[in-house]
Amino acid sequence: TVAGTNFQSSTKRVRTMATAIEPAMKDSFSRYAEYLNDLNDKRDRVVKASRDVTMNSKKVIFQVHRMSKYNKVEVLEKAEKDLVAVTDQYMSRLVKELQGTDFWKLRRAYSPGIQEYVEAATFCGFCKNGTLLKLDEINKTLLPLSDPSLQPLQINILDYLLGVADLTGELMRLAIGMISDGELEFAEKICTFARDIYRELTLVVPHMDDSSDMKTKMDIMLQSVMKIENERICLRFSIYNFCSKFVIFVFLIFYVACFSVHVRGSEYIPLLGSNDTSSFLVGVPDIEI
Amino acid sequence: MQYLKPAFRKAAFYCHSLTLNPTSVVLFPFRFRLAPPVSRFSSSMAVPPSSLDKQFDAFRVQLEESGTLRDRIRSVVSEIESSTRLIYATLLLVHHSRPTPDVLEKAKSQINVLKEQYKQLAEVVGGCPGQYYRYHGDWRSETQSVVSMLAFMHWLETGSLLEHKEAEEKLGLNSSDFGLDVEDYLIGVCFMSNELPRYVVNQVTAGDYDCPRKVLKFLTDLHAAFRMLNLRNDFLRKKFDGMKYDLRKVEEVYYDVKIRGLTPNGESIGDQGIQGQS
Repeated sequence: TVAGTNFQSSTKRVRTMATAIEPAMKDSFSRYAEYLNDLNDKRDRVVKASRDVTMNSKKVIFQVHRMSKYNKVEVLEKAEKDLVAVTDQYMSRLVKELQGTDFWKLRRAYSPGIQEYVEAATFCGFCKNGTLLKLDEINKTLLPLSDPSLQPLQINILDYLLGVADLTGELMRLAIGMISDGELEFAEKICTFARDIYRELTLVVPHMDDSSDMKTKMDIMLQSVMKIENERICLRFSIYNFCSKFVIFVFLIFYVACFSVHVRGSEYIPLLGSNDTSSFLVGVPDIEI
Repeated sequence: MQYLKPAFRKAAFYCHSLTLNPTSVVLFPFRFRLAPPVSRFSSSMAVPPSSLDKQFDAFRVQLEESGTLRDRIRSVVSEIESSTRLIYATLLLVHHSRPTPDVLEKAKSQINVLKEQYKQLAEVVGGCPGQYYRYHGDWRSETQSVVSMLAFMHWLETGSLLEHKEAEEKLGLNSSDFGLDVEDYLIGVCFMSNELPRYVVNQVTAGDYDCPRKVLKFLTDLHAAFRMLNLRNDFLRKKFDGMKYDLRKVEEVYYDVKIRGLTPNGESIGDQGIQGQS
């Protein structure tokens, strides 16, 4: 026992390992150690899979942004293919690791990846169909990834909503690009869509678990929608400016033209009078203007 | 005039698209409309619920349900919290040198109330299996306090460490439905160790000179057992780091008792000379 034999008085005490831990405690703790090791290893694998999903989903989003009126179909096709690759290669890894209770237990580890994935999928979906890809639809595409004997991985409402909130940021960038390219109808569609999403979310956000994240996203979302709206009104004002200046410009040209015709006309008569001897104006003095 | 160039570019594109869409805004400034045509605006108000609306309505219903569930959980947890405080107040009596068996008797009866409340909690959450960890944060810290008290009581009674399984059983929980999270258990044990230094000090003051030896052995073992775990830099790690200060304090008390020859190991010289020194 510790009592008496090994005790030293200095504060820097050397603890001898000769002291055996009470066996029952040692047993339990080796079990707890195993449990924690498994949990932490799994958490690490989930974080890694989530990071891969994030990175590759972002690539899909960048791909969609390369869209212009000339290459829309090819760009979207490639984006779709890339999205399928993300689902098959990276989401499948997440599905493998998350089963049963781990689904909620490890949520903080994988939520960012899922949000990015939802953002990419809904972005592609909108550019292709003009509508919001629904949660059920996304989850249907994930079903084949899960082993049929296990509970399938299904994205939950919270991660879906967080992903959709981020979508409006990308929509804003796309809309402004479209306005610069002159694709104004598409830009208007984007604007309407973004407004609809914002409107729908305002009713749902207050009920979300830990909605503070979402509230920040809502502020950012409103700013994105307003940016699109402001860009559109700038366009109209600049057209107004151009048109009003154009009209003034036209009037100016017209006035100058009239004025110079009048001026030329009065210069012409004295020239006739002075040079041509057969004219009836011979002898009339030159008039200085 | 600097508007002119970009305005010109934008206007040129716009005019191009205008020729294809004669219903859009007219060019001349004095007939210019800045707002979108009124008809488009009013039509969006009268539109029947779209599939977009349907999806979000369904979300709202689901989220309201989970919100209600969370409220119910929170009300049970606040009851657990009051019971816990009662038990804690009872256990504090051991520091006042009340005889331990009496204190334990009272505390045990209060545990039964707690057991009932955990059963209630399990029922409330039980409606949604697999969602234990969704709401776990709402009862996490209360459960840790409960475990620390149960472990302290167990130690007072038996001198040994309450195991995870035993703790689960005491609360009437089981790991397949509604269990005790292992990390909550371990953190609860760390909280218990925080109580020990004070206990030892008061026991010695009350004349129990063997207590430090027992507590020291126990806490040394516990600390060594915790060192078997590979901990990450989280809350559990922090609490474990705090345990060494508890251990140090108990060692100091043990040392103080020993050098004064107060230990009942036969080395005691008696009260005369040494006890007065401090």
